[in-house]
Amino acid sequence: MLLIPCPHCGLREESEFTYGGPCRDLPALDGQSDAGTWSQAFHMGKNPRGPLRELWYHSSGCEAWIEVTRDTASHEIIPGGQT
Amino acid sequence: MRRLPAGGLIDRSQTLHFTFDGEMMTGHPGDTLASALLAGGRHLVARSLKYHRPRGIMSAGLEEPSAMVTVRDETGSTPNLKVTEVPLREGLQVSSQNALPSLEKDRAAALGLMGKTISAGFYYKTFMWPQGAWHQRFARLIRQAAGHGKVDPSPDPALYDKRRKSCDVLVIGSGPAGLSAAVTAAQSGATVILMEQDHVLGGSLLSSDATLQGLSAQDWAEDAEEALRVLSNVTVMPRTLAFGQYDHGLVQAVETLPEGSSCQAVFWKIRAKRILLAAGAIERPLVFPGNDRPGIMLAGAVRSYIRRFAVAPGRSAVVAVADPQERADTVAALREAGISIAADLPAGARLLATQGKRHLTGLAWRDAQGRKQRTPCDLLAMSAGWMPTAHLFAQMGERLSFSDQTQSLLPPETDGPLRPIGGARAVLDSADCIADGKAAAHQAMAELEMHKHLNLSRPSPAPASAEVFAAGKGKAFVDFQNDVTRDDVALAQREGYRDVELTKRYTTLGMGSDQGKTSWTNGVLEIAALSGREAAEIGHTTYRPPYSPVSLGALVGAGTGMQMTPILRTPFHSGFEKLGCVFQTSGDWLYSRYFPQPGETMAQAIEREARAVRSSLGCVDMSTLGKIDVQGSDALEFLSRLYCNNFAAIKPGRLRYALMLREDGYVFDDGTIACLGAEHFLVTATTANAGSVWRHMQKCAQVEWPELDVSLTDVSDHWASLAIAGPNARKLLEALGPDFEASRQAFPFAAVREGQLDGLPARVFSVSFSGELSYEINVPAGFAEALLARVMERGAEWNITPYGLETLDVLRIEKGHLSVGTEIDGRRTPGDLGMGGMVSKKKDFLGRALLQRPGLQAEGREQLVGLVPEDGSTIIPYAAHLSDSELDAKGCAATIGHLTAAIESPSLGHPIALGFLRDGRNRIGDVLWAHSPVAGASVRVRVTAPCFYDPEGERLHG
Repeated sequence: MLLIPCPHCGLREESEFTYGGPCRDLPALDGQSDAGTWSQAFHMGKNPRGPLRELWYHSSGCEAWIEVTRDTASHEIIPGGQT
Repeated sequence: MRRLPAGGLIDRSQTLHFTFDGEMMTGHPGDTLASALLAGGRHLVARSLKYHRPRGIMSAGLEEPSAMVTVRDETGSTPNLKVTEVPLREGLQVSSQNALPSLEKDRAAALGLMGKTISAGFYYKTFMWPQGAWHQRFARLIRQAAGHGKVDPSPDPALYDKRRKSCDVLVIGSGPAGLSAAVTAAQSGATVILMEQDHVLGGSLLSSDATLQGLSAQDWAEDAEEALRVLSNVTVMPRTLAFGQYDHGLVQAVETLPEGSSCQAVFWKIRAKRILLAAGAIERPLVFPGNDRPGIMLAGAVRSYIRRFAVAPGRSAVVAVADPQERADTVAALREAGISIAADLPAGARLLATQGKRHLTGLAWRDAQGRKQRTPCDLLAMSAGWMPTAHLFAQMGERLSFSDQTQSLLPPETDGPLRPIGGARAVLDSADCIADGKAAAHQAMAELEMHKHLNLSRPSPAPASAEVFAAGKGKAFVDFQNDVTRDDVALAQREGYRDVELTKRYTTLGMGSDQGKTSWTNGVLEIAALSGREAAEIGHTTYRPPYSPVSLGALVGAGTGMQMTPILRTPFHSGFEKLGCVFQTSGDWLYSRYFPQPGETMAQAIEREARAVRSSLGCVDMSTLGKIDVQGSDALEFLSRLYCNNFAAIKPGRLRYALMLREDGYVFDDGTIACLGAEHFLVTATTANAGSVWRHMQKCAQVEWPELDVSLTDVSDHWASLAIAGPNARKLLEALGPDFEASRQAFPFAAVREGQLDGLPARVFSVSFSGELSYEINVPAGFAEALLARVMERGAEWNITPYGLETLDVLRIEKGHLSVGTEIDGRRTPGDLGMGGMVSKKKDFLGRALLQRPGLQAEGREQLVGLVPEDGSTIIPYAAHLSDSELDAKGCAATIGHLTAAIESPSLGHPIALGFLRDGRNRIGDVLWAHSPVAGASVRVRVTAPCFYDPEGERLHG
């Protein structure tokens, strides 16, 4: 049970959130990208042991989708962290 | 009686009665079951797991491996409770376990004589054949012979609850270190929770004769408790077992409430910025032949029974304590209780054997000079040293390291939120513990920026005694709960199970309800001695919560029966109740299922309801659909990216059916998009996906396309939605007095009108799930009852028939409409569902690119089809599989698809089904088999298009 820093609500219990998976940089919807490009972005996400940028949805709170950098080994939340 | 005439923390003015195996016994408030049993002269309370050896009470705490009993009170019976953990209460009925027929005469005790035969791994090696016999025969016999108490199968009438709390500093344990830490932190202004598993505070101080800061240990503890009780920033929680540490400073605990409370136990989740683990230390037994007889106790337990509970656990004692200071303290305690010292074993003594059938009668030993001695005694106080209780620390995955200095597993220094203090890091002297608690609390306060850094020095762990005892050859128990002997550990090493995890699983060392609290360090030392390795190399097995067993009732809390999940009721619920509705749960919803008339079965009601809709008029609740209000200058662009079909030309007042794909190109959900204005839309989501579609749309708006000017509002609960459907639906709509024109030309299919129905504010959507002319009338939820009353009253002219989920499903299956979870099951492309033509080629949208993957575009994928019985009448079994061939002799056939829905159609007068069939659209007209091994039926079915009723859709327009 993590404590997740919500920029609107402060430190909140993990049970208030829905996990949204690692951040993905999806191609723009401009009709240019093919299945291969999308597959790379959508299916081939990183799964590092260490810091990972993730999305969390504060479903039982402010309903914001937030980005959190979490160390997948220690569960440490890295403030303002990027990988 | 072994009760001492004076002293102890018991209330002699009151007598409590309880029974043990039917025998009436007494005790006093302040007793545990263990102390009351010992006061009544009863040591033999259990038979051991495997050998059925007589076992007594070895400890005075949660580490107790042997003395487990079943306790019955007014709420039922609870097995496997340790007598040392149960506070005595009036009327408890206690019974022994694993003894046939009785503790004194256990038939299975003969097993003890065959110890060599049933050593570790015996079962694996012996019951290998005949195949299957293990499950059929042996397991049952062995389970009966070897086991603990039996679960009470009756429902538990006790109430439980769950609560949360947070604090700056959580202190677990109220011995000298815990009390000192709590007082220090509290007086510096931190919010403090002090948890103690026992029903009184004090821990080891309760049985100590030390003088601390000029006070007796008990008075010091009482003063500290007093100092805490007067502070408003402190919560003292006795009877609360902290059983697990989790991420980010979460500790879970179960508080057992005192007798007479309305609630039995509370499951606590506590968030703390710092956790000071003052759980103390557990005494290590000596491993020597016959070390398990009743009457052999840990030295600290002997002192606790004498000083805290005023019980003399024997008359003539042998003291076998390694540490000289503790030995002197134990001798002093025995003298206080008037127990004679039969022998005080000197260092280097070798313990050879014990005598006594059901209780210890004597000890054979050799002194350092090799002279053999036989000492009659009825009590043996033993100690090889102390083991820190650092379990909660290790649960988070940090390894403990074996220290040669303390001869125990020690927690390393850490900057994590949980810090072991006092006995939990092998600081044993009470005054040292007080200093350690204070220093650790100050350190925590400084880290929390609530106090300046004092950098108080922390006392060092107490070294193990240099004096040790030796042991002779024979059955020497390492793990008392699982009957694991020194020979079993040796056998595991010989047979190659050398890794600690393997040794544990092969011998069961450290398993069971005590999780090896008294046995693990001895196990490590045995392995080290046998293998010649350093104890530090051997490591330890994984520590997992719970530290000690907790009641499942407490973990469940109040969430049982109807309280398990919230129940959602639609705004029409009470109105439908008056109409005789039968409800069913559908997800979290309690949804109308059907509306039986007197004497009608469900099937009859469904048929009547369906016929009414097809021939005249029905009404159905649509309030559970998700309704999302989309506004902004980019609202249309936003929706255009979300849905795969093209609706760029949509005009205010019109609506479109729309299909939403996931990013990977599979169909996610379907619904309607209603245009309320140039920059204002209302979209619906299916009931099952209402939450996930909302979440997905939020993600798209916030994360994927933040540049779009769009704002979303979930208005699902704002509106009550009642669909009126049937050939007479327009007549009823007009009768409801709309302030807009409702003629076929003015209000066509797939349109929306906002206005008033005879004064009721309403949005009316001309959409149809049933295939009939239909209007979904939405009113603000508070007007639901008024709308229903008017619809029923004005609709009476056309015999309006309310219908529920069953008929809704029948009507949509007749039309081949999709349902989420059955047809839209997460594996279908628009093409699979017969909607490939809807997918826009003119725009980009979420899912477009990945929908182009070859596998999703391949010929011959499973496609939605309709099915009818070839003979026109045989019922098609639900969930059948489709095949080209008959079942073979083995009952097998190659599957080429499966059914998603099967009904007897009231409108068509014969059975129909929907299903997915490989290359289905090319097989229309073919005859296949529908096999259902579950129903035991195989039916010849003919493939049709999925829409059975009004395929041209003429009825939608009225």
